[in-house]
Amino acid sequence: MLRIAAAVEALSLLVLLTNLATVHLDGVASLTGPIHGCAYLFVIIAAFRLPGLSRAARLSSLVPGIGGLLVLRGSP
Amino acid sequence: MWHFSHCRAARKAPTVVAVTKLLLAVHVLAAIIAIGPITVAASMFPAVMRRALADPPDPQAASWARLLHRICRVYAAVGVAVPVFGIATASSLGVLTDAWLLTSMALTAAAALLLILAVLPRQQALTEALAESTTPAGVTAAGSTTPAGAATRAGSAAPVETTAPAAPGAPLGRAIPRLAMFTGLFNLLWAIVTVLMIVRPGSTTGA
Repeated sequence: MLRIAAAVEALSLLVLLTNLATVHLDGVASLTGPIHGCAYLFVIIAAFRLPGLSRAARLSSLVPGIGGLLVLRGSP
Repeated sequence: MWHFSHCRAARKAPTVVAVTKLLLAVHVLAAIIAIGPITVAASMFPAVMRRALADPPDPQAASWARLLHRICRVYAAVGVAVPVFGIATASSLGVLTDAWLLTSMALTAAAALLLILAVLPRQQALTEALAESTTPAGVTAAGSTTPAGAATRAGSAAPVETTAPAAPGAPLGRAIPRLAMFTGLFNLLWAIVTVLMIVRPGSTTGA
């Protein structure tokens, strides 16, 4: 669950930034935006509900874009 | 330059409409899939808990209660998608500051807080208390062992023992109606939000 959300979080941000830097299509931005927002919130919820995580790992989920990956790296 | 941007704006419109429809579809789908199970499971929870605490306790009710609580918890997390895609849809439609929508968002926030702060913690407390009161004891006959142990710690073992089996159920029994009330309030808030989303009083974007 956290693994998927973390991947979606990072990937969707990459898509958003690539879109912003290149073609800048409104459709891509307004579709990927909510997906990224959802993934970001899922990662935070998962990080705070998952047992056995350190306080630092939980708080690192708040970092935008790569929070999920940071949690995965910090979790045993 | 003016011509170029003008053309782009004219070409952009169909994509934006399609994206808006997609966002709305995801929003409605998420609402049905996530909030539906929560309302059903949360409504069933108090009744199942009552059966688990009944005088001859229903042996299956405890695991049912755990399952219902898990459904509520997991789908509450999935439900995060509903407001996120709802706000995206509203912003795409340009109705983000309409009165009916602001009212809906306030009611949704109230429902979410009710679920997170009142319904889910009470469900969890009841499930844990039930697990504690049933784990050391096998069935009804052994039910007196837990309160007797608690009574020995309190210092008055013998006189309490005769009335002991009712002791763990009583505080839990009082917590159930309160949980049922909060659950009903949560369901009512959701029903109001759903009706607001359909009726949209004062909206000019069509039925």
